[in-house]
Amino acid sequence: MSVNNLLENWAQFRHFHPVDDKPHDPYKWAMSIDLDACTGCNACSVACYAENNLPVVGKEKYQHGQSMHWMRIERYWDEDGREFPDQGAQFLPMMCQQCEAAPCETVCPVAATNHTADGLNSQIYNRCIGSRYCSANCPFKVRYFNWYDYPTTDNVWPAEMTQQLNPDVTVRGKGVMEKCTFCVQRLSAAKVTAKNEGRIVKDGEVQTACQQSCPTGAISFGNLVDPESRVHKQWQTQQVELDKDKQDKDEEDSGLRGYRILEELRAYPSVMYLERVRESAV
Amino acid sequence: MKDIREDIAWVKINQDVLKSLENPRKLYWIIIFCALAVFSVGVGCEVYQYRNGMGVANLNNPNVWGLYIATFIFWIGMSHSGTLLSAILHLMHADWRKPIYRFAEAMTTFSLMTAGLFVMVHIGRLWQFYYSLPYPNERGVWPNFQSPLLWDAMAIFTYLSSSVLFLFVGMIPDLAICRDNMKEGWRKKLYTLLSLGWEGTDRQWRNFRVTYLTIACFLIPLAVSVHSIVASDFGMSQQPGWHVTSFPPYFVAGALYSGCAAIITLFIILRYVFKFEEYMTLPILKKTVRLTFAIAMVWTYLNAVEFASVWYSHDGASKDVLIQKMTGPFAFAWWGMVFCGSVVPLVLAFKRFQTNIPVLLVVSLLLNLGMWLERWMIVAPTFSHGYYPWTWDHDQWPSMIQWGIVFGSFGWFTLLFMVFCKVFPSVSMYEVKEMVYHRSLHLKKSETAEQGAH
Amino acid sequence: MIDSGFDRRDFLKVLGWSGAAVALSGCGNTSIEDGRETVVSYSEPADYVIPGIGVYYNSTCAQCDAGCNINGRVREGRVLKLEGNPDSTINRGKICGLGQAGVQHHYNPDRLREPLLRKGDQGETISWEKAYGLIAEKLKGVDGEEMAFLTGGMSGHLKVLLGNYLASFGCKNHFVYEAVSPAVVRAANKKSYGMAMPRFSINKAKVVLSFGADFLGSWISPVHFSQQYAQFRKGVDGQRGVLIQVESKMTLTGANADRWLAIRPGTEGVLALGIINALGTATGEIAAAVKDYDRARVSAETGIAPGQIDKVAALLKLRSPSLVLAGSAAEGYAHGSQNAAAINLLNHVLGNMGKTVEVSETIPFPQMAPSLGNTAALKSLNDGLSAGKYKVLFSYAANPVFTAPGALKFKEGMAKAGFKVAFAHYLDETAMQADLVLPLDSALEDWGTQVPEYLATCAQINVQQPLMEKLHANTRGMGDILLALLKQRRADEYKGYEDYYAYLRDALLKNKSALGGGKIDDDTFWNETLTKGIIKLEGPVGSLATKVGAAGLKLPVSDDGDDQYPLHLIPSVTASLRDGRHANQPWLQESPDPLTTIVWDSWVEIHPKKAAELHIVEGDIIEIASRTGTIKAQAYLFPGIHPDAVSVPLGRGHDAMGRYAKGFGVNPFQIMDAVFDKETGELAMHETRVKITKTGQRVIVVKDEGAAGGKQMGKKIAVRLSTDDVDLSEEV
Repeated sequence: MSVNNLLENWAQFRHFHPVDDKPHDPYKWAMSIDLDACTGCNACSVACYAENNLPVVGKEKYQHGQSMHWMRIERYWDEDGREFPDQGAQFLPMMCQQCEAAPCETVCPVAATNHTADGLNSQIYNRCIGSRYCSANCPFKVRYFNWYDYPTTDNVWPAEMTQQLNPDVTVRGKGVMEKCTFCVQRLSAAKVTAKNEGRIVKDGEVQTACQQSCPTGAISFGNLVDPESRVHKQWQTQQVELDKDKQDKDEEDSGLRGYRILEELRAYPSVMYLERVRESAV
Repeated sequence: MKDIREDIAWVKINQDVLKSLENPRKLYWIIIFCALAVFSVGVGCEVYQYRNGMGVANLNNPNVWGLYIATFIFWIGMSHSGTLLSAILHLMHADWRKPIYRFAEAMTTFSLMTAGLFVMVHIGRLWQFYYSLPYPNERGVWPNFQSPLLWDAMAIFTYLSSSVLFLFVGMIPDLAICRDNMKEGWRKKLYTLLSLGWEGTDRQWRNFRVTYLTIACFLIPLAVSVHSIVASDFGMSQQPGWHVTSFPPYFVAGALYSGCAAIITLFIILRYVFKFEEYMTLPILKKTVRLTFAIAMVWTYLNAVEFASVWYSHDGASKDVLIQKMTGPFAFAWWGMVFCGSVVPLVLAFKRFQTNIPVLLVVSLLLNLGMWLERWMIVAPTFSHGYYPWTWDHDQWPSMIQWGIVFGSFGWFTLLFMVFCKVFPSVSMYEVKEMVYHRSLHLKKSETAEQGAH
Repeated sequence: MIDSGFDRRDFLKVLGWSGAAVALSGCGNTSIEDGRETVVSYSEPADYVIPGIGVYYNSTCAQCDAGCNINGRVREGRVLKLEGNPDSTINRGKICGLGQAGVQHHYNPDRLREPLLRKGDQGETISWEKAYGLIAEKLKGVDGEEMAFLTGGMSGHLKVLLGNYLASFGCKNHFVYEAVSPAVVRAANKKSYGMAMPRFSINKAKVVLSFGADFLGSWISPVHFSQQYAQFRKGVDGQRGVLIQVESKMTLTGANADRWLAIRPGTEGVLALGIINALGTATGEIAAAVKDYDRARVSAETGIAPGQIDKVAALLKLRSPSLVLAGSAAEGYAHGSQNAAAINLLNHVLGNMGKTVEVSETIPFPQMAPSLGNTAALKSLNDGLSAGKYKVLFSYAANPVFTAPGALKFKEGMAKAGFKVAFAHYLDETAMQADLVLPLDSALEDWGTQVPEYLATCAQINVQQPLMEKLHANTRGMGDILLALLKQRRADEYKGYEDYYAYLRDALLKNKSALGGGKIDDDTFWNETLTKGIIKLEGPVGSLATKVGAAGLKLPVSDDGDDQYPLHLIPSVTASLRDGRHANQPWLQESPDPLTTIVWDSWVEIHPKKAAELHIVEGDIIEIASRTGTIKAQAYLFPGIHPDAVSVPLGRGHDAMGRYAKGFGVNPFQIMDAVFDKETGELAMHETRVKITKTGQRVIVVKDEGAAGGKQMGKKIAVRLSTDDVDLSEEV
């Protein structure tokens, strides 16, 4: 505990927003979700429950808006006043966007949420005192608070169901904020394996639970700074850059599908979505 | 017209004020009991919430903050009353503050103590609140200095300690009077202890004046900064309806406003209960009312500035929030705020009402209600109508637990204040004496130097 | 993966864990001191258990009958999570939400643990010996005609054993019943294509025209079709596939369509013929059949605009090959077979045969081929039960008391059976009516083989192996039970088998060469089989009909409706709940319905226009009355439904089956009329007519969407691009 430590490392502690003199190296985890492939089946959401020990809150608490789905599937309708939704609906999987300049990180009074060197927005459960300022500041409202003590609540994890819990992931008690972590437990395990072999994690070696489960393969996840990774290639071909609030390609109609949500807020999300396509000929 | 009669004998001042410290009548105990009951309800609710989790407050995603933060800001706001009267008006040599600043200063201190409670009540893991303090730990972890909530913690702590100091220091000469006029008992022991051996010598008075002035000068920027920092909890966020640069002055104006309104309320009550008509006179009341009116207009202006700037900005999200406040589920509270905060104070512009006690009592309560609603309207609508439409309007009403704790806080404040009124002089005797023209330098027969020619 | 040469069962006996322990550490309020956390010693773990390192086993998902292959992560002797098996040709490493919930089927706190014998209203625990004894006693002197065995769809060795058991009585009363099944489609396919289930190559089509086939959600093999769909969207020859969905109530697949056409219930066949007419390429019999189905007539009957019919026809003509699928159009109506016939005609006319409708293989072991469940079987069983025909009734993997249409009065019929035995995982509605309930091993604890109905690429037998030791000591695998029962009848034949595992192993080893293991020794073959989890085979290839006639194709004139019961009830099949057997898996209850985002409850979808007519707002409790009965559900205004229909989801409304199922929602099966497809005898799912009335009550609908509903309020959240504006050429 030293003032020295504070002064020396302050910049590093707070400044993982990508800048030229400190680029992400060797990892920057990012995701790309193809909305034309997403069918809205909710497999990713259930897989996330299984992998990350998410509690099922039950009907009453769900009604109060206290659900815990880190990955939620939103469903939008076209808003052109037609009698029927003749061009179908639109599904959007929304989870923590792991923003590079996350509005949640700056406002936590106890520094329970920070940015990691590999570009994740970290949530440190045992530091969190539950002020919920991070959630207040999140533009996407993808942070979920433990409003009750789910491990001790009836019927959340009755006997035998506790055996399903993933030992790699903390089971959170009450008063703690949580959110999608890009399955950091899997990332850590993969990094350790790679490190033991003296290399970095290869593309496809580690998958998030949602990505692994998605039947259409709509979710791409990987290392954005690895030029061989699928996610890097997707961001590149879509001409979406991480540290911009307005992409160059948006100046004219490029016909490229990639975009990020609420980009103008300069949170620099690490998740790129590919626009759904609708056939004009029918 | 003079603020108070100039021919009140010093002895009478002592007598009148010390009379308020006599054993209380039955009504006092009834009110204490009620306050205690309400406070216990609050405590019960908090215990329930502590054991079960914040969910019992009916908070949810996205409505993660509710009445706790709103009431917290309200109490911080109320705390500016004392600072305004004690410090600011002191620097302006507005002598009319002298009979009334003591209880205002007490109100400040107790408001801050109540506000501090809400910080605890509001966080999800109350038993680990000390993580927000920079205490030595083996992990070398500091709290996050970028966070406005942390600035809050620092600022309020500083403000509270300074206010307590200010209140205490300002009371020392009065405590000496109390000490000198009390029979043996716990009171005499208490006053003896607290008056720190004050004898009223020249030297002591000189030191006293300098100290008092210094703390006053120190307290004013502190008060402004505290509420500005509380405002920056919102101003520093990019949420629509919050990201407004005029929030710091707006909050400070609102704080002064609710503080003044509370002063009027307590003025009327104390004046009646302790029969302080000689000291808490109508001219002083009138001046307070006019000050309140002025601040009300300033607040109204800043409010209008906020709306106007939202209106002419291109910030669609903020506009949506404003329209939502005006027309959505919260409309009743928003318009209530406008009515109580901007329309009701117009009554105070009329001379007829400026000294009409019943009207003023009602008006002052309404003004404070308006200010409480204002805090709620700043906190809640942004959550239920933020940037992300999928999460809009999701069951945003507080549960009985939240109301229980909010009312409990009023019970707590009342309890503290009532105890204060019976243990400490709620009118500053030595300052009133300064206001009174001292006709006779002779001491009356019954008075001796020991008894109190202070 | 695991090498040969070890004893797998020893491995599984390492269960070094118990109670609510290890995972509950961290920032919770539990501690070792208060006894809510335990520390487990691994001072002597088994050879291949490294605490903290997971091991993965392959098995087969049993949550639906698609037969996806799964991979279970097992740590310290307990299965944690299921993933798809990357080597599976059906699901290629992917798994749906229903599959993920398989662990909740296994760990469910309401699983049956002991055999139960009815005593009045209660179930008394008895031993397995007593139970078997009782069955033997009840079967004494019972003729094959007098016993009935009801199951769900079955395949593999379990089917063989059951067949042998029933044969030992000379019993032919094996009723294979599935409430949700594409039975009409199968029959129509047989007629039109020559094969009940050809291969539908969605990924080779440029246009998919689906008449209510929810292939992304709950139709036949959704994970497999979803993967094909992804390829379909990426495009054949660089041209993105176009999906057109025609149905009266929007399914998940419909929500993903480029064009969703709300069609008057029952008139899908008319539209199909109308499209053939618009195509103008049909000849001979077919041309004659569609002669009268011109645009005007078709548009008037179906409600689809004439211009739209033209557009669809034009697209189908331009982009070939296409693929036309019949789903709810077939299963929904009394003329469903005719609908399906008309729809299947399209594939012939468009020249899709052999291109996107392809031959599929069958497995070379017909005795293991799936017995496909259907609803006509239920009717037969019900007829027999009502007539008091059966002295003994067995029930396995079926819950007809819940899923039978109310008009059949199945519960009353079942009560007439003399002795009722249910083999079940939970006390579901049917088990509650039984006299003897025998608890089963979960799908993750049991051995087996399974042959999926829909074979994705090649013929295959899926292997099911336990992913951990039994949770409850006294449950048994169905195979073990059948073997025990068989030993009662044919002791000599089966006495050599200690248990089902031994039987399976022996059966597979006997056919080692046919299964691809000719050159390796028994143990290696067995272990490799278990390791892979899939036995890929070459089987006889069916043959597709090259042409089809249209003689006798007669579509009924669309009815104007019934004044008393004006609306069609469409009971919808959701991907997670299906026919309700998974309603006790909380992840599925809490997983929002993709279209309405409602959780934990039932609802009735009403078109906003209809709702406005009747002054219904969201949350109003509506009474839905059919001739058979009434149910009440909360109203949800949903634009994706035809105004002449209302839709209530299937799967909820249990009054048994545990804490997560009981009391949530209502069961539309209860009010379904007994209307059957004329040709196949299958239950016509959408033929129940209802009337709706407000009850005056209103509730808050528990759903995930907020007050903005599905609106983006002018923000760029979920965006779509027209194919005119998009440039897909550079995409990865």
